[in-house]
Amino acid sequence: MTAARFDELIHPPTRLAIVSLLAAVEWADFKVIRDQLGLSDSALSKQLSTLEQAEYVQIRKAFVGKRPRTSARLTGTGLAAFQQHVAALQQIVGRSGVTVLPG
Amino acid sequence: MNNQLRPDEAAAALAEIGQQQEKAIEAVLVPVWYWWVVAAGMVAIGAAVDTHSAAVLAVVIPIAVLVIAGLTAAMIFGTYRRVRVRDRELLGDRGALAIVGFTWLIVGLTLGLAFGLRAAGAAWPATIATVAGGAALVAGGPLLMRALRRIMLGNRAGRAR
Repeated sequence: MTAARFDELIHPPTRLAIVSLLAAVEWADFKVIRDQLGLSDSALSKQLSTLEQAEYVQIRKAFVGKRPRTSARLTGTGLAAFQQHVAALQQIVGRSGVTVLPG
Repeated sequence: MNNQLRPDEAAAALAEIGQQQEKAIEAVLVPVWYWWVVAAGMVAIGAAVDTHSAAVLAVVIPIAVLVIAGLTAAMIFGTYRRVRVRDRELLGDRGALAIVGFTWLIVGLTLGLAFGLRAAGAAWPATIATVAGGAALVAGGPLLMRALRRIMLGNRAGRAR
C-alpha cells in the first residue's frame, strides 16, 4: 500500500494536471501535453522546469530530421511522489465520508 | 496546506487526475473508422480471391495489403511519436490477452468460414467469409477498445480506489 504524503509541489492545478497525464504514459511530446492541458508554450516550459528541478520530471530534447522535438517523462521519484499525493488526497476524502467515483 | 485542504477540494483534485489520465489513455486508442477500413480491405481481398483472375489478384491484393499495413503502421508510429502509454503496466496480461484473443478470433472465423464454405461447394466462399470477418471486426473492434480502455483505467497509477 502506498504511503500518503501530501506534495505541495505537485498539488497546484497546472502541475497536478501535468503530473497526472505523465503518470499514465512512458513519455509524452511537449505539444501533446500543451494541447491536452490548453497551456501556452511558456507556461508549460515554466512548470516543467519546476518539476525537473525537483527531479520529478525528465526532459528529453531530440531532433527528428531538422525539427527539434521535446518530450517529458515522469521519473521514478516523480511517480512515487504522485502516488503518495493521490493517497493523501484519498485520505482527506475518505476521512470526510465523501464518495469519489473512479475517474 | 494539507491541513487546510477541504474534502471537496481533494475530491475535485482526484477527479481532475482521473480526467487527465483518461484523456491520455483515449489518445492512444484506435478510432472506429480504422476497423471499417481494415474490414473493407479484407472484403476486397476475399472478393479478388473468388474471381480466380490472376490479373485481379495481382492488382487488388497488393493494394489492399498496402492500405491495411500502411494504415496500421501509420497509426502505431504516429501515436508512438507523440505519446507512449505505459503499455505493460496499463494493459497487463488481461489487455495483451484480449488483443491476441480478438486477433485470433477474427482470423479463425474468416479462414474457418472460407474453407468450410469452399468444402461445402458454396459460391463466393472467400467473399462471404471476409464479409463475416469484416463485420465481426467492425462490431468487435470498438468493443475491444472499450475493454482495453476499462483495463487501462483500472491499472493506471493513482486511480481512485
